[in-house]
Amino acid sequence: MPRLNFWTVVMILTWLMLFVLLFIPVGSVLTASFYDQQGNVTIANYLKFLSEPRFHQAFFNTLVVGFGGLFGALLLGSIMAFCVSRFVIRGGKFVSLLAILALVSPPFIGAYSWIVLFGAGGVVRGFLRDMGINMPPIYGVGGILIVFSLKFYPYVYLMVSGALSNVNRSLEEAAEGLGLTPWQRTMKISFPMVFPALTAGGLLALIQAIADFGTPRLLGRGYNVLATEAFTLYSAEVGSNMSMATTISVVLILVSMVFVMLQRYVSRRNVYHGNMINKPIRIQLKGWRNVLAHFAVYFIGLCGALPVIISVIYSFRKTSGPVFQDGFALQSYERILFGLGDVVRNSLTFSMAAVALIVIVGTVVGVLVARRTNFNTALLDGAFMVPYVMPGIVIGIAFIAAFNTGPIVLTGTATIIILSIFIRRLPYTVRTTASSLRQISPSMEEAAISLGYSPFQAFLRITVPLIVPGIIAGGMLSFVTAINELSSSLVLYVGSTMTMPVRIYLLILDGDFGVAAALSTILLLLSGCAVYIAFRFMGRNEQALL
Amino acid sequence: MSYLTVSNAMKRFGPEFMALNGVSVAVERGEFFTLLGPSGCGKTTLLRSIAGFNDLTSGDITLDGANLRIVPPHQRDIGMVFQDYAVFPHLSVFENVAFGLKPRKVPAAEIKTRVTQALDAVRLGAMADRLPAAMSGGQQQRIGLARAMVIKPRLLLMDEPLSNLDAKLRIELREEIRDIQKQVDIATIYVTHDQEEALAISDRICVMNAGRIEQVGTPPEIYGDPQTRFVAEFVGTLNTFAPGAALDAMLSQLGLSLPGATVWTARPERLGLAARGGDTGGAATLEGTIAKFTYLGREAHVQVETPAGLVVVQIANPGMTLTHQPGEQVSVLVPREALMAFGADNIRIGG
Repeated sequence: MPRLNFWTVVMILTWLMLFVLLFIPVGSVLTASFYDQQGNVTIANYLKFLSEPRFHQAFFNTLVVGFGGLFGALLLGSIMAFCVSRFVIRGGKFVSLLAILALVSPPFIGAYSWIVLFGAGGVVRGFLRDMGINMPPIYGVGGILIVFSLKFYPYVYLMVSGALSNVNRSLEEAAEGLGLTPWQRTMKISFPMVFPALTAGGLLALIQAIADFGTPRLLGRGYNVLATEAFTLYSAEVGSNMSMATTISVVLILVSMVFVMLQRYVSRRNVYHGNMINKPIRIQLKGWRNVLAHFAVYFIGLCGALPVIISVIYSFRKTSGPVFQDGFALQSYERILFGLGDVVRNSLTFSMAAVALIVIVGTVVGVLVARRTNFNTALLDGAFMVPYVMPGIVIGIAFIAAFNTGPIVLTGTATIIILSIFIRRLPYTVRTTASSLRQISPSMEEAAISLGYSPFQAFLRITVPLIVPGIIAGGMLSFVTAINELSSSLVLYVGSTMTMPVRIYLLILDGDFGVAAALSTILLLLSGCAVYIAFRFMGRNEQALL
Repeated sequence: MSYLTVSNAMKRFGPEFMALNGVSVAVERGEFFTLLGPSGCGKTTLLRSIAGFNDLTSGDITLDGANLRIVPPHQRDIGMVFQDYAVFPHLSVFENVAFGLKPRKVPAAEIKTRVTQALDAVRLGAMADRLPAAMSGGQQQRIGLARAMVIKPRLLLMDEPLSNLDAKLRIELREEIRDIQKQVDIATIYVTHDQEEALAISDRICVMNAGRIEQVGTPPEIYGDPQTRFVAEFVGTLNTFAPGAALDAMLSQLGLSLPGATVWTARPERLGLAARGGDTGGAATLEGTIAKFTYLGREAHVQVETPAGLVVVQIANPGMTLTHQPGEQVSVLVPREALMAFGADNIRIGG
């Protein structure tokens, strides 16, 4: 049976790929953390982690920004979700668009835009100071939490609004019939129904907040978290401490593993499939309540999208060197065109190469996981969990640890950046392909076989056309992630393999915000196109962005 | 030799479970043959073995004298209709039906006429260019039927094709399937768990239970002359009299004595009701009290509490006046020919 052989080969290649791209890097991180700088086996790194107050602080701070981001996202996201799905809000589609904007923009752009407005020399702060109001600059933990709340609220918003519009109105009517007040109805019926979505969305925000590197780096001003600590130790020009960096990476993996497991456990219980016979209706609010609901929704939406708006506006401002002048001009774009073309080109080629690999490998492995269910594929499914728990900065450090010396040397190449993006996003494609395949009834292919098509022909003519739109859409969403990737690229890049997010990050550090804003705008435009194409192929499905 | 034969088919799933445990059937040309049984009885497994989607653990299948087990499923030339319709959502109705003609290298002009004919036969001629996604279940299953028929297969298999449809449509479509099958004259194997559907549609019915065949026969044979207690209970409804003095008295009234008979049963519609002490017309009687009266329009079900247990009597055409109140004293009339006896092994005795 040649077909069986084909899948056996796929299975072997998949394991090989996982071994090289995942187990070796993770293994390298783990072993490196047990060696000191001189190459002796030791647990001193972990003892140091436990004894040094600096690391305690980083660990504690990571949890603070994680849970702070979680609660901020929960607060903003659930307010917005509740208002949009229960009240008539003018321009509801526009509000969703604002949420998508916040979701697809790189978080460090958000950080910088907030600095522009509320930093030491911030525009808004200066304006308020002129009016006699002195507000503290946004730096530090407060700023990080504001940015995280506004950046990650769409996770909660999209999940909860999906769940809220799935609550069958008959349930609430039944509760009404049983004599519950509106408040009791909300607390006893609606809240339990959306609780799984709330926790799942909140945990997603938490995981992202823990893994995020750019925001604490730019806004923290000495507020260290595990991700920045690992990067500092790795990148310090004098006394780069790889073994301590890997130790912190291991701790970071463990922390995020706990929450990823929690998130998986919670989403598995997200099973209230309401029948949609009696859809909830939106209430038209009157008077001040109406104003308040609109204000809340638009305030959250616009604040979340503010970084994007600021970037777009500033990208067109006239500059003289890095200093902004009055008036508008295309100087920043000119500077990109004549000086940074290779960065844009790098970003595009790396992302496209990674997405092409993700789509091809992800689809084949997805078919393997969905259609060849045995012990091996269950194990494979489990192995694909690993990239989920790896923050980008850790993937970067792991790839350096694995491919700097030894049989495969990849450091400084484009390949290593492409592969790091590839392995991080691959699990999503495998999972979406596998789940869309599971939704196609096997009798569909059997029908084709009974009509005279060989099993392979039946797969090609029936199953493939049915999953292709989903695969294209998934590829486009992978492109968004790929092109916005900062943290792993920042560890892996060299001068010739610099990408747009890395360049933006460096420009912001240099204070050259005009070009950074212009690059961000280009990035946003590319992401926007990709999201648009994805929505064209699978219908407007904001939840797929999560 | 019959057109399709299955001999001594065994199918094992896992180490323990025997889905088919020595099944042999023979289907003739043009015959409408139904596999009837509860879920898990092996009927779908048998059908899928014939289609080739799962192979038997052991046993033989022949079609028109040739061994079918060595032919890969896509070369068996067997049409199949699925429970979930399996209509291709990305193809139009016409393309769905034409799908099986392409690998058969049928010329384009002939494809057009054959597909048009098939669609007319299932009354979908006007919808050829539509996409099936928005169509009703009944319409989708008609596409499935046309698609399986149009290739002029050597055998047509139907796996509970009507079970996802509502009751009224089910009856309508089963009549159509029956008519079309007679018209195209293709041997058909039909799987269902609905005994009424099986009785209405089949030339012969094969009742299966736990991987084995209980009985094969025409609908009147299956209903009127069940050979096992399982068949009697699964097809139609059955009163089983509690053993004891009341049953013994009733049997001696009728002068019935069958050695080895342990279970005595009767169908509700074969029993009658009379006022206490009324005319019995030669039937045995069981004295009882009415427990419940259910009026169903064309019939009524009367539950009577008797010394031989709760007995259901079905009265045809009850009309407006024939009603009974709970607590009313009546006699259940048990004619001699209504009684069916089964031995300890649940095999019919004296049938």
